[in-house]
Amino acid sequence: MSKRLLTITVNGELTEALVQPYQTLLEALREDIGLTGVKEGCSTGDCGCCTVILDGKPVTSCLVLALQAEGKNVRTVEGLDHDGALDPIQQAFVRHGALQCGFCIPGAVVMARALLDENPSPTEEEIRWGLAGNLCRCTGYTKWVEAIQEVVAGLNGRPAEGAMK
Amino acid sequence: MYKFDFVAPRSPEDAVAQLAERGPGGKLLAGGTDLLLQTKARVVKPSYVVDLSRLADLERLEYRPGEGLWIGAMVRSRAIQLSPLFRGRFSVIADGAGLIGSIQIRNLATVGGNLCNAAPSADVSPPLIAAAARAEILGPTGSRSVPLDEFFLGPRKTVLGPAELLLGVLVPDPAPRSGGHYLRHTPRKEMDIAVVGVGSTIALDDGRCADARIALGAVGPTPLRAVRAEAALRGQRLSPEVIDHAARLAAEEARPISDVRGTVEFRRHLVEVLTRRTLSVAWQNAEQGGSGR
Amino acid sequence: MTDVAAIGQRLERADGQDKVTGRALYVADVKPPGVLHAKLLRSPHAHARIRSIDVERAKALPGVRCVLTGADLDRIEREPSSRARAILAVGRVRFQGQPVAAVAADDVHTAEEAIDLIEVDYDVLPAAIDPLEAMKDGAPLVREHAVATDDSEALAHGSVTAGEVKVAGSEPTNITSRVHYHRGDVEGGFAAADLVVEQTYHIGHVHQGYMEPRATIAAWDSQDRLTVHVSAQGQFSIRSELSAILGIPESRIKVIPMEIGGGFGAKIQPIVEPIAAHLARKTRRPVKLVLSRSEELIAATPSPEFIMEVKTGVKKDGTLTAVKARVIMDPGCFPGGPLNNACLLIACLYKFPNLDVEGIEVLTHKPSQAAYRAPGAPHGTFAIESQMDAMARALGLDRLEFRLQNCIVEGDLMAHGEPWPNNGMRQVLEAIAKHPVWKDRRPAPNRGVGFAVGGWLGGIQPASASVRMNPDGSLSVITGAIDLTGTNTAFRQIAAQELGLPAEEIAVQTADTDSAPYAGTSAGSKVVYAVGGAVQAAAADARRQILEIASHELEAAPADLEIADGKVHVKGAAERSVSLAKIGNASTRYGGKYEPVFGRGSITVTQRSPGFAGQIAEVEVDPETGSVSILRYVAVQDVGKAINPTLVEGQMQGGSAQGIGIGLSEQLVYSEEGRLLNPSLLDYRKMTAIDLPRIETVIVEVPSPFGPFGAKGVGEPPIVPGPAAIANAVRDATGCDFPDLPITPDRVVAALARQKE
Repeated sequence: MSKRLLTITVNGELTEALVQPYQTLLEALREDIGLTGVKEGCSTGDCGCCTVILDGKPVTSCLVLALQAEGKNVRTVEGLDHDGALDPIQQAFVRHGALQCGFCIPGAVVMARALLDENPSPTEEEIRWGLAGNLCRCTGYTKWVEAIQEVVAGLNGRPAEGAMK
Repeated sequence: MYKFDFVAPRSPEDAVAQLAERGPGGKLLAGGTDLLLQTKARVVKPSYVVDLSRLADLERLEYRPGEGLWIGAMVRSRAIQLSPLFRGRFSVIADGAGLIGSIQIRNLATVGGNLCNAAPSADVSPPLIAAAARAEILGPTGSRSVPLDEFFLGPRKTVLGPAELLLGVLVPDPAPRSGGHYLRHTPRKEMDIAVVGVGSTIALDDGRCADARIALGAVGPTPLRAVRAEAALRGQRLSPEVIDHAARLAAEEARPISDVRGTVEFRRHLVEVLTRRTLSVAWQNAEQGGSGR
Repeated sequence: MTDVAAIGQRLERADGQDKVTGRALYVADVKPPGVLHAKLLRSPHAHARIRSIDVERAKALPGVRCVLTGADLDRIEREPSSRARAILAVGRVRFQGQPVAAVAADDVHTAEEAIDLIEVDYDVLPAAIDPLEAMKDGAPLVREHAVATDDSEALAHGSVTAGEVKVAGSEPTNITSRVHYHRGDVEGGFAAADLVVEQTYHIGHVHQGYMEPRATIAAWDSQDRLTVHVSAQGQFSIRSELSAILGIPESRIKVIPMEIGGGFGAKIQPIVEPIAAHLARKTRRPVKLVLSRSEELIAATPSPEFIMEVKTGVKKDGTLTAVKARVIMDPGCFPGGPLNNACLLIACLYKFPNLDVEGIEVLTHKPSQAAYRAPGAPHGTFAIESQMDAMARALGLDRLEFRLQNCIVEGDLMAHGEPWPNNGMRQVLEAIAKHPVWKDRRPAPNRGVGFAVGGWLGGIQPASASVRMNPDGSLSVITGAIDLTGTNTAFRQIAAQELGLPAEEIAVQTADTDSAPYAGTSAGSKVVYAVGGAVQAAAADARRQILEIASHELEAAPADLEIADGKVHVKGAAERSVSLAKIGNASTRYGGKYEPVFGRGSITVTQRSPGFAGQIAEVEVDPETGSVSILRYVAVQDVGKAINPTLVEGQMQGGSAQGIGIGLSEQLVYSEEGRLLNPSLLDYRKMTAIDLPRIETVIVEVPSPFGPFGAKGVGEPPIVPGPAAIANAVRDATGCDFPDLPITPDRVVAALARQKE
């Protein structure tokens, strides 16, 4: 089987790659486009480590064929920052110690970004439902929620409750 | 991943033509959340997949006055979860679609894929069957319509022929005072396959149950209609006792097996519990004129 | 010591930015030029003889560079003495998923295709899967000959091995180890008791659940030196093992530890590196092997299965009289596991004057075990804490007061004759007693509150570290300890405190085996405890050297100098100063008159400092479906001294989540034939963000006399009480006992139904 040309916009840049028809978007990003931030934790859509934002919607890229993303917009963890400055979600995760081994974190911060893009003031329950597709073995999720709540408070112009000093 | 070729048809008709031309060994690719798992595990080994994700025709989600609600096969379950069309009379469908996987999975998983993969535990099947939906199928010789409760033949088997494609489902207008609800049992709050799923709809007329449809998922080779339970409700004035009785009948009608997700006994028990709970909510929704969520 | 308040600071992890931006590199992210991709063919049977293997079609597939079977490997043992040495099966397979052949190909899909083309003819044999069956005469045997137990992992973890007797009898049997602890007269103790409670507890195999599947890259250079990129908890121990397995000196192996995506004890044994090394040698190309999630679940190294038959006696007034237990541990197909830990924790948490605990290790045809965070401790604690709850209820005593009445204190003798070191068990219980979730609990339908306490004895290991001043005056700490839990951040703080500098000005590196000072594995909750002590010593040594140089420059005695704001100055005379940059320059430049500042610290801490943890759970049960929801969860832990409270809280919350998983939803389920029935994360259920509540943390500090600044090991204790806390809470909600974990909805429904009868 021969490779095909895939043209997609990744983190705002038009990108070309040669991919096999059976390759997933996850694999194309990691192997052919050189963006290894997105991780493979299970390859069955059950862990969320491979989450990217595809045409504005968060998806598990292990279950998307690369060619299905032809012509689309993909945002990965490498595209979260704003001209080199960390996204507030990224900053909050670091500040709150909401990461340990870090393997699930690219997927988690991308998902958190997608959540807040859709709903800038989620409740704690909405945050937890929203991140239920992102498994983490190290943190127990409490500091994730605290980090995201701090960002939510900031977005809504309120001082954060329980914010880290 | 198993090595297969990728075909991008330009229309549903073209998809059908590709299947007919290329012959056996092809699989239709909808959201990928079932098929790609199967090709990665090498339990399904297609020589080519036909990608439906660019066919706007299949993504239509619209209410057609006089007909009912049309859900194109490629409508993503997340879209159903969020769409205002499913608040109110068609809420039972969003009850099911909103439970599949995670948000990431729901952005990919489609109604058509869920139906055509035909896992007995599929979450959109019981609600759509309870809502009396019909499947619209396109084949090489034209289209046909099949009531959804006749669509499934067995685990992973539907009435679709080798070169046929599900265009979507049409959910008829429910009766004026009707309501529905779908519940399932899973060990975790999300991410799990249903151990048991029950979708119930009730239509009221002059204080009595005019019609009831109860569809059971994951307790048989296909979704089942609990026809004896339905019959026990029709014509009755509803009460908790009447509902309890129907729930017990539904439990008897279930045909579960024991597997790693649940035993026969536990599943039968859950059918009773979930039938009772969904009937109670469906009744309540029907009393309120069908306002669901 | 200095005025700097680095200890107790919530310093951000230095690797945080790299991790939230995706820049941190894990093994699978590395792509050496020319790398080949490996896949393993695995046995579908738990026990079978291999009649033949045909690899011809696989070899002929375009893109395949190498296919190996056991027969192709030199030095392969027919009856391997450890899991790591069971590189590819020869003659027999002993667990489902055991690798039988290996392929290296240009890409991973071709490698998978090649695997499909290999034909193996198996003679399927009966398998011993249930440990109780495996103990019986006539059970299918896992080993044909008795083999010495591989202690290395238990030692790496710093867990107890005293009292262990390796069984090497003449009759082949699946029983490979027996231990026995006794003291006093248990029968007399039970006779004197007013109440005797007996129960059999069961916890099956559980996967450590790290999010990064195992991965490795192996490559040989033209001088036949092996370089291995690893995701592992100890680069030195991997190097030693590879040296022994491959038969080459350690000096010809370089192990490069990459960022590790979780380990929890599993990534100490090298089970992917040896085959990758063989493939790399054969192909003369770098070979990358990354396990899939289903390979991890089917054929990695889960924690062992435990069956614990426990009987305890107590008087009406709450005095304990006796404990008798038989603990059966099933570590899968290779011996070596935390049998002692479980036995000791059953008998030694509370004052039992009479005790008799027997432990038996029995092999089965399942994948062999590896450590999982406080190995054996959640198990033993589950058993004894369930007993304590049951006794308190039956006697009408307050569950917490009953614990306080009987908990051990420093000096009480453990079952193996050693006294309990200084510990915080009482203080943890007191913290639970004061917490509103416990103190203000009220009965409510279908709701319950339960708690449990447990501990981890704590590991010890020799360690060294160095602190080097760079030419620009900045300082670097170098250790060989892999940063599994944020320990590098703790090291920055320890070094900062010793040196009198802000932690932000200190860098920490974990170096590879060629350049790092020796450290043991990052396991056993001994990294900060042991290596931290070495860091402290190295920093103190560096400080001394810095002050020496400064004293020459400033013509003042070292005792009159202090370090602040990047300078060394005379106390009380800030204008008489020399910058660290100048000292760095003066000690490294050409013609410089001072030796480079290079602080060294080596220690051997020989005293353990146990860490105790306690957890409270408030749950609500749906009696019709059996679903258990956790409404509130509180984790209490004595950490000695919280060097970095944020890191400590993270450990407490992560460990709690794992303990809850063991209690409610996680188990590897095997068929009677030994096939794994839930080989995906869909059916091997880890808790998600919506399944868990906010995990509240209470840090208790009972200083250790031995750890740096009084710190105790933090990493392992927080998993220990979880399963028991959950079981005790669900019992409180339902009135039913749950001796079998996990407490799945069907078990709750069945227990409630039995209760009605």
